[in-house]
Amino acid sequence: MTSEASRILVWDGAIRLVHWLMVVLVPLLWWSAEEGHMDWHKSFGVTMFGLVLFRMIWGLIGTWTARFAPMVRRIGSLKTYIGDLRRREHGATFGHSPLAALSVFALLHALATQVTTGLFSVDVDGLESGPLAVLVSFEAGRQFADIHELNFNFLALLIGLHITAIAFYHFVLKEKLVGPMITGRRARAAFSDSPLPENRARPLAMLAAAVLSFACVMAVLNFG
Amino acid sequence: MRLCKLQIILPVVAGLTLLSACGQNAETGGVSEAASVELANGMTVKEQIEARQSHLKKIGKAFKTISDQLKAGSPDLAQIQAAAASVPKEATGMTDWFPEGTGPESGVKTEALPIIWEEKADFEDKVAAMQEAAAKLDTVAQGGDVAAIGAAFKTTGGTCKACHDKFREDD
Repeated sequence: MTSEASRILVWDGAIRLVHWLMVVLVPLLWWSAEEGHMDWHKSFGVTMFGLVLFRMIWGLIGTWTARFAPMVRRIGSLKTYIGDLRRREHGATFGHSPLAALSVFALLHALATQVTTGLFSVDVDGLESGPLAVLVSFEAGRQFADIHELNFNFLALLIGLHITAIAFYHFVLKEKLVGPMITGRRARAAFSDSPLPENRARPLAMLAAAVLSFACVMAVLNFG
Repeated sequence: MRLCKLQIILPVVAGLTLLSACGQNAETGGVSEAASVELANGMTVKEQIEARQSHLKKIGKAFKTISDQLKAGSPDLAQIQAAAASVPKEATGMTDWFPEGTGPESGVKTEALPIIWEEKADFEDKVAAMQEAAAKLDTVAQGGDVAAIGAAFKTTGGTCKACHDKFREDD
């Protein structure tokens, strides 16, 4: 039995909401593209664009576990972390482990590439195009579409790796990572380091990030 | 010991590389042979395929111009009209672009599916529908009513899609 006080906030609401919306959107985006429902694909894609933007901003002004700077510093101890993993001396990390930080950067990079190329893509018939494709020629738009298609495979590979890693932690290391990504909280006792960095919710910063990313999306949509 | 192994492996690898290179040569040789067959219209298969791809690409470019302008707050009518006028011209004689022997069996890179020649009548109907819609789009475009142009453009795009869905390899 753990009381509410001993369960601390690891992932704030914004991180969790963005994460699970992406989980829903990626298959929908893939499906709508495969089936040629381009109107839906564009709506989902613009939503994904907003989520990626928000996550980027949240990485700068968000809660401690959301911010990129501490994640970059964590990557510095990658060697020690992997060494511990191999000796099965694994301990829980508060926030992103060095490997998780790498994974987040790779996934965000692939998602950012995907939404950016999508904005400029043109289909082979010149009938469908992203909201910013007016800025580029037919040929350039086709190249963006080619990268868009190629990069999806890279993104799918990273997602596969991510899910495999979660399963490995669950079954081999007996560390359950899905629960905290849903509830946001984990028992304080799970973490050996003390004191933990301050990870308070930041409602004003969250509002600012949401407004800013929404404004960017609207600006792109109303372009031209 | 290690050196010995390397001495065996290296020639084997070199031999295999040479062999595969030969195989590739033989293959491309076969391809270019079918591709250079002369058609009744005097073009080679390769020339015919490239010519139709060039026409279709120009239509794609014209469609992008129209679609860009229709999306814009204040569409540039002159650009739309020029693009719309080019489409029926580029699409003239489209059914003749697909003589027997210019499908994927020629070995030339093409997304044209064999079903074009198996269901020739349906293919020709669909091409005619596109040509008719494109002619109408041109007429409407010269009239200058943006809403009507949008509707005619959608109809024309639909005729492209109807044919591509059935007769073109999935992109």
